[in-house]
Amino acid sequence: MPTQPGTSNADVRCGDYKAIGGKLLRVRMTVTEDNPPVIQTLRITGDFFMHPEEAIEDLEQLLTGAPLEETVLRECVQTFFAGDVQVVGADVDDFVTALLKAG
Amino acid sequence: MTAQEWRLLLTGDMSAFDNMALDEAILRCVVAGTSPSTLRFYGWKPSAVSIGYFQGIEQEVDLDMCRQKGVDVIRRLTGGGAVFHEHGSEITYSLAVKDDYPGIPKKVLDSYALLCGGLVAGFRRLGLDAEFKPINDILVNGKKISGNAQTRRFGGILQHGTLLCDVNPPLMFSLLKVPNEKIRDKLIAGVEERVTSIRREMGTVDHDAVIAAMCAGFAEVLDIRFSPGTVSDEELALLERVKEERYANPTWNFKR
Repeated sequence: MPTQPGTSNADVRCGDYKAIGGKLLRVRMTVTEDNPPVIQTLRITGDFFMHPEEAIEDLEQLLTGAPLEETVLRECVQTFFAGDVQVVGADVDDFVTALLKAG
Repeated sequence: MTAQEWRLLLTGDMSAFDNMALDEAILRCVVAGTSPSTLRFYGWKPSAVSIGYFQGIEQEVDLDMCRQKGVDVIRRLTGGGAVFHEHGSEITYSLAVKDDYPGIPKKVLDSYALLCGGLVAGFRRLGLDAEFKPINDILVNGKKISGNAQTRRFGGILQHGTLLCDVNPPLMFSLLKVPNEKIRDKLIAGVEERVTSIRREMGTVDHDAVIAAMCAGFAEVLDIRFSPGTVSDEELALLERVKEERYANPTWNFKR
């Protein structure tokens, strides 16, 4: 969602992305005015599954402070998926696409 | 080998808060070994909207409309999507078992296939042409009749899901947020097309027969038998505790 430029030093950006697995990923973030913008706050919601569920907060934390660049975002998400977590209904590509779409 | 005996619980209609708290209480006691593996059937009174663990409550639910219509709103322990549980229109089940129970796959996707297989066998016993549709749906004649969700925690597996007896898409979409008003009718038509119900498929709904068929289906795929039981005092005490900590607590329901 485009935001009014210059009204604040934190842009709110939102985007929805339907994963290939059929589940919806909804991303809402605030980013800095840097180039590329850096994620300041992040919330990923949707109807996917993740076990353990609380791990979503680890993913959000991992991505906070990351620049909105595909390679960096992909590395973060990949690291998270490689951990002791099962994500059902969306894969690494889906999360990266959702983040980029919102950003 | 004799079949493992599981407890069958029929707890009738309860509030969303009691329902979700009891599912968690049962899971905790099953894991602790103070309750046997359990299959439970229940209903919702008043009607409620449940949202998945990861969903944003304000993103998904028209909270004012729910308040107006006396519909409770609750966040589940399980992921997945928002569900409208209409009083009298749904038979809900939950199944709680230790996560090292013999024969239950470690991979969540595979365990959906196994456990939903019990429901598929149940629907077939009712004479319906049912199939499992990954990730977590059951279809009859190509249309969704059951949605399911699973969590694994405390050392156990909790799977709960809906068996749709009647569907009311216009009411459902009056309670859920839609991306924009222009597509509300289209969404309703889409659900009418993709979702079916036991009444639509069978002409009638015999709750007892549905529950008996599902028990037989689970017994078949898990090689178990059921013995009717009651909720324990420990479970009742836990229900009250987790209801207060979680399900009836705005901090939990509004955490996303």
